[in-house]
Amino acid sequence: MSDAPVRKGFNQTRRQFMATTAGAAGLGAIGLPRLSKAAPKRGGTLRFGTRVDSTALDPHRNLVYYISTPLAATTQGLLDLDLDMNIVPGVAEEWDISDDLMVYTFRLRKGVEYHNGRDVDAESVKWNFERILDPKTSHAFTRASLEDVDEIIVDDKHTLRIRLKEPSAVFAANVVYYPCNLMAPDSVDQVDTHPIGCGPFKFVSWNRYAKTELVRFENYFETDEHGNQLPYLDAIEGYPKREDQVRLTSLRTGELDLIDNMAFNDVRPFRESYGEAFDIFEAPHIGSGHLNINVKSGPFAMDAPDGKLLRHAIAHAIDREAIHHAVFEELGYPLNGYYSEASPWHMPGIRNVKEYDPEKSRSILRKLNMENMPIAVVARQSFQYMSQTAELVHAMLLDAGFNATNEVFDNPVLRQKYAKDDWGIDSTATSYRFEPDGWYSRWILSSAAENQLRLGYKNEQVDKLILEARQTLDKEKRIELYTEVESLVNEDAALIYTHAVPMTSAGTNRLKGYRPAFAGAFSTAGGGIRTAYFEEA
Amino acid sequence: MLVYVINRILQLIPVVFVLSVLVFGFVHALPGDVIDSLAGQEAAEDPEVRAALEEEFGLNRPIYVQYAVWLGNVLQGDFGHSLVTRRPVSQELFERIPATVYLAVVGIGLSILIAVPLGTIAAVRRNTPTDYVAQVSSLIGISIPEFWFAILCIMLFSLHLGWLPSSGYVSPFTDFGASVTYLVLPALAIGFRQAAFTTRLTRSSMLDEINKDYVNTGRSLGLSERKVIYKYTLRNALIPTVTISGLQLANLLGGTVVLESIFSWPGIGLTIFQAIQLRDFPMIQAGVLVLGVMVVLINLAVDILYRVLNPRVGMA
Repeated sequence: MSDAPVRKGFNQTRRQFMATTAGAAGLGAIGLPRLSKAAPKRGGTLRFGTRVDSTALDPHRNLVYYISTPLAATTQGLLDLDLDMNIVPGVAEEWDISDDLMVYTFRLRKGVEYHNGRDVDAESVKWNFERILDPKTSHAFTRASLEDVDEIIVDDKHTLRIRLKEPSAVFAANVVYYPCNLMAPDSVDQVDTHPIGCGPFKFVSWNRYAKTELVRFENYFETDEHGNQLPYLDAIEGYPKREDQVRLTSLRTGELDLIDNMAFNDVRPFRESYGEAFDIFEAPHIGSGHLNINVKSGPFAMDAPDGKLLRHAIAHAIDREAIHHAVFEELGYPLNGYYSEASPWHMPGIRNVKEYDPEKSRSILRKLNMENMPIAVVARQSFQYMSQTAELVHAMLLDAGFNATNEVFDNPVLRQKYAKDDWGIDSTATSYRFEPDGWYSRWILSSAAENQLRLGYKNEQVDKLILEARQTLDKEKRIELYTEVESLVNEDAALIYTHAVPMTSAGTNRLKGYRPAFAGAFSTAGGGIRTAYFEEA
Repeated sequence: MLVYVINRILQLIPVVFVLSVLVFGFVHALPGDVIDSLAGQEAAEDPEVRAALEEEFGLNRPIYVQYAVWLGNVLQGDFGHSLVTRRPVSQELFERIPATVYLAVVGIGLSILIAVPLGTIAAVRRNTPTDYVAQVSSLIGISIPEFWFAILCIMLFSLHLGWLPSSGYVSPFTDFGASVTYLVLPALAIGFRQAAFTTRLTRSSMLDEINKDYVNTGRSLGLSERKVIYKYTLRNALIPTVTISGLQLANLLGGTVVLESIFSWPGIGLTIFQAIQLRDFPMIQAGVLVLGVMVVLINLAVDILYRVLNPRVGMA
């Protein structure tokens, strides 16, 4: 172990951290269910309708929307997230950060098991991380979360040290559920057919596009505040139903108990008409919508003579309130930076926001003698709010004097367009950035792969601030640094934030204790599916 | 008859070969890079990752070599592994095909059960209220889009009456009773529209036949009207109906993506559609090829049925 003085997780004060871990340790004698005065009823099968199905079963190789498919309940990260997006103990009940921010030490909970009975020990975590680091067995996104890892050292059965290549105050965020799921090393041969994780539910079967079956893991380590072992439900049946109305109808007819991704325009009428029999759950901010402008080449490029002015013309043409009303049905929040008021990382001091002022856009274009300037607005087909936002932006740009076109593509085609710089503005969104470094280092930093491939944004001052924040433990200080980053990004207008993406789900009012959060339905300590139960199980 | 069938089967071999070339060629001409989909765009830029994936899936070989290898494997019943799920494509496909065939066959069967009697009665009682009802019904059936009729069915039978589940699928081999309840609405949605076409066709064919000399001859020989209509006239009038029903069945095998979406029916159409979105080449190739072969086989069956209905077919 490192000899350096020890710091605890940066999101909490030492006192908060000790309270959390002591509470968890005190209440959760691992694997030993206790009786409680206020025990919710156990049992019942949750029939969950989701918009998408899992892509495949290997948790390291696949990630497409993994946070909302039932399979997500079969795995677990080293650390966990609570309902407020704080990093809290999970399989590891404590973690220390060395003074030089180079070594993270995780002490694993004793008695935690994989579904096949094997202990979740330090060796198995090491095996998982090494598998994730192998390009042959992992997805790039998953692998990127561990790219700073230099060495993984097993000190003893329940202690794991990770030495980094560079100092980092944010590494703990990379070993929570999604992307770093843990699977039993001795089950690797069956990972594509019958995965063995250590999450609250065990895998039973997966009939692609039809049904996923899971049953309760009887030795799951998490307990509720009364010491009752979680989860309460006996089983989950997942039913992928692509169409929003189909899921909603199945909920109304009683064929499903819970649905995810309720269409934004269904929320209000459904609440008004059926609010007595059903609950609607809103997590106001699980992701952020933004417009990327192609600043790698062409007239909007960072180094183009009038690039910045032209980007300002675009920024002034964007009416966030219209997007808030028309696309998001007044759910969530318009954005001036990545984090909305619903986030603990909200930054109220962000400057240089370009207000909606189409006349200003027109005057810029006139001044530059670039009226009717062509620009291609593109969006991905798979998410309706992206294409709907693109439609609105297209209309706004036309109104502001651009000669805009609008096209929606499926993902592989859009990727080709990125690679060829064959696009102007991309209406897109990113999610699961509960730790700001996951956003700024992966998208805004000039060396970030995603930035280089898509945006081409480069600002040395911004880079410096992001790297400084990465090595800063104090949350308030980091918020200050990121506020400055966002102000510079707004001034450069290479990327225009539009709207927080809310998560809407609905369920029968017999379902209690279900608390979805930023991290989705499954991966939230003390919430989501783990604490859900039926009133009359 | 046997010689006829063997001849027809031999004629299918070049058809299937050309089909395999077209399927392979078109799939590889799809825009979008499969390595991007497999690796994520960040990793796709990494030459090492790219090379490893190309090697793993044989994508670094010339296209004709890839085709030859693929065809050789297909002829041995090996469609390869899905690039996404890493499971054998044949396993994925054969989980889907029964659901599609089940729905398509029942849908077409339902349409024939409705259309043949209705079209026949409409022709026999032409220009009567029965005929008008049949014609208006079929006109409505043709005019209403399938997806809209499906939604109406769900609203009525699932939401208001609560008789049938709104969506989902249960295999008939798992629970036949439950399976039928899930099947009724999608089969009805398919059957109603297809029946509309077939009713009009049957009526029109029957009208053509009824006015032919052999019908009058039969009547003049004292055969009962029932026998003239149902034994002789209908048999001849059914030839175009069989053709159209065969084409409809072939069309339904791959063309029910919208209904599969509405009813969350895990069929082959939706599977291929999603494989296209993910650029899962082995899955697309196998899916389209299998569908193509099924269409070819349905056409063969239709040809044989012609021969049964009218032995003069194919004699020349």
